[in-house]
Amino acid sequence: MKHPDQWTDTAKQRRHDWYFRLGTIGIGVVILALWELLPLLGLVNPIILPPFTKVAEALYTLMQQPFFPGHLAVTFNEIMIGFVVGTLLGLGIGIALAVWPAAKRLTYPFVVGFQAIPKIVFAPLFIAWFGFGQTSKIVMAVVIAFFPVLINTMVGLESVPSDARKLMRSLKATPLQIFWKVSFLHALPIIFAGIQAAFTFAVIGAIVGEFVGAQEGLGYLLNLYNFQLRIDRAFAVIVILAGIGAAGFFILEWMDRKFIFWREDRSH
Amino acid sequence: MPNPKLQLVGAPFTGASERSVIQTRSISKIFSLPEGPVTALKDVNITVNKGDFVSFVGPSGCGKSTLLNIIAGLLPPSSGTAELYGEAITSPSRRMGFMFQTAVLLPWRTVEANVLLPAEVYGLKPDSVREKARSVIEAVGLKDFIKAYPKQLSGGMQQRVALARVLTYEPEILLMDEPFGALDEFTREAMNLELMRITQSAGITCIFVTHNITEAVFLSDKVVVMTPRPGKVSGVLDVQLPRPREIDTMKDPAFADMIFEVRSLLGRHI
Ligand SMILES: Nc1ncnc2c1ncn2[C@@H]1O[C@H](COP(=O)(O)OP(=O)(O)OP(=O)(O)O)[C@@H](O)[C@H]1O
Ligand SMILES: [Mg+2]
Repeated sequence: MKHPDQWTDTAKQRRHDWYFRLGTIGIGVVILALWELLPLLGLVNPIILPPFTKVAEALYTLMQQPFFPGHLAVTFNEIMIGFVVGTLLGLGIGIALAVWPAAKRLTYPFVVGFQAIPKIVFAPLFIAWFGFGQTSKIVMAVVIAFFPVLINTMVGLESVPSDARKLMRSLKATPLQIFWKVSFLHALPIIFAGIQAAFTFAVIGAIVGEFVGAQEGLGYLLNLYNFQLRIDRAFAVIVILAGIGAAGFFILEWMDRKFIFWREDRSH
Repeated sequence: MPNPKLQLVGAPFTGASERSVIQTRSISKIFSLPEGPVTALKDVNITVNKGDFVSFVGPSGCGKSTLLNIIAGLLPPSSGTAELYGEAITSPSRRMGFMFQTAVLLPWRTVEANVLLPAEVYGLKPDSVREKARSVIEAVGLKDFIKAYPKQLSGGMQQRVALARVLTYEPEILLMDEPFGALDEFTREAMNLELMRITQSAGITCIFVTHNITEAVFLSDKVVVMTPRPGKVSGVLDVQLPRPREIDTMKDPAFADMIFEVRSLLGRHI
């Protein structure tokens, strides 16, 4: 089935899109060229910024190392569990607070207060509580991924137009019908934006947790290579983390386009 | 000389009859705001007879929407009662359909799915009403847009979908709060004719809130004029223009007279 957005597409608009895509690729090429040339020409110390090709090489050899898949799996696990649990918690608590106004009034000051804390301050604490293993990193990822989903769920459910509720009430709809047929779907674009943020935050949570204290994982490797001044390898790890973040973002973006096709603020 | 067409409040108009579908008995509504109480409605008595088209006109803030919400069972009055076939209205009834100033369509549903929403809420199988929905969508002139999404439709077309949605479940009474207020003059006129044609042929009783005096007179059997602070009925006019009405009806000198009478009832409030 054709996406309704595409019904208005014209050949001209599509050509326009292509110019922008080529422009973006061009900018990417320029950045890579600078990355390669600045250290080679001696404008930047290659120890501080290894040339792009060196990093690519380091990336390739790193991925060949027998220890590498284990570290990748550990971090990937932490990120995914943190993301899923954080999202479900944020969604569940957000829905509960939105449909039960008394609970919201009672707890809102704590939600706002807790939200204002930079969550990474808890990282050392979680190590003390949950040890150096994966649990402390997962907890960190959950705590940091949870808030954007919670806040967006509450905001989204509160922004349901009062006329839509009124229409449902005039039809004698049950609260459950109002929630599933109107409120939840209305809030979904906003909730999904929170879920997208949650993924990025889960990556941050897992890596910060590993920075503070770990014996395995990509954050541990990054820390290690930094200390050993193997900056090319450190960059290689950063590239992998960037890849994980970008992959998650684009998968979620694709899901958003597919499932929330009615979103109004979409640029394309 | 008293005008025979004009019935002022307290006049025989309040008397019930076996034809009466909706009746309000000295309804008052007071909203308590931090700044103090606001009397939105004071002692409103109206009767709406079966099959009648009754319009409420009046300046902003005179309580038209409040009254309509009370009749719809969406808002309790502070005192007095609204009755549907002689029974107090305490909650919405499926015999009444509500239309708003905006179409209030769900953007993730196609035209057809939007029209089927009430049936779904009522727990009917969508298939059992699909035929009916199709014919109503056709009747409002949206046959080619049955699978379109709301954002692909103009404001007037969206309001037609809202009309189809409410007509599909065959309410006996249609409550409309400025349903065409956001439309341009041409679309509004077309919608007026369509609404009149459909509700007349189905014998639907209509209560219609509007700011537009011409529209009120053109559509109605009765025009209820309301004035603000506090919101009350300042008069009711019988519109005795013949039906069916067409655009030509507006040329009738009696039409201009009616408009003038509504204006004079609104008096210093406009
Ligand atoms: N939920 C509410 N809470 C407090 N005051 C209200 C509420 N609803 C309406 N009012 C007040 O009651 C009065 C009547 O409002 P209402 O919306 O019924 O007027 P209206 O005639 O429909 O006006 P308009 O033509 O602008 O739609 C106004 O003074 C308004 O401020
Ligand atoms: Mg109003």
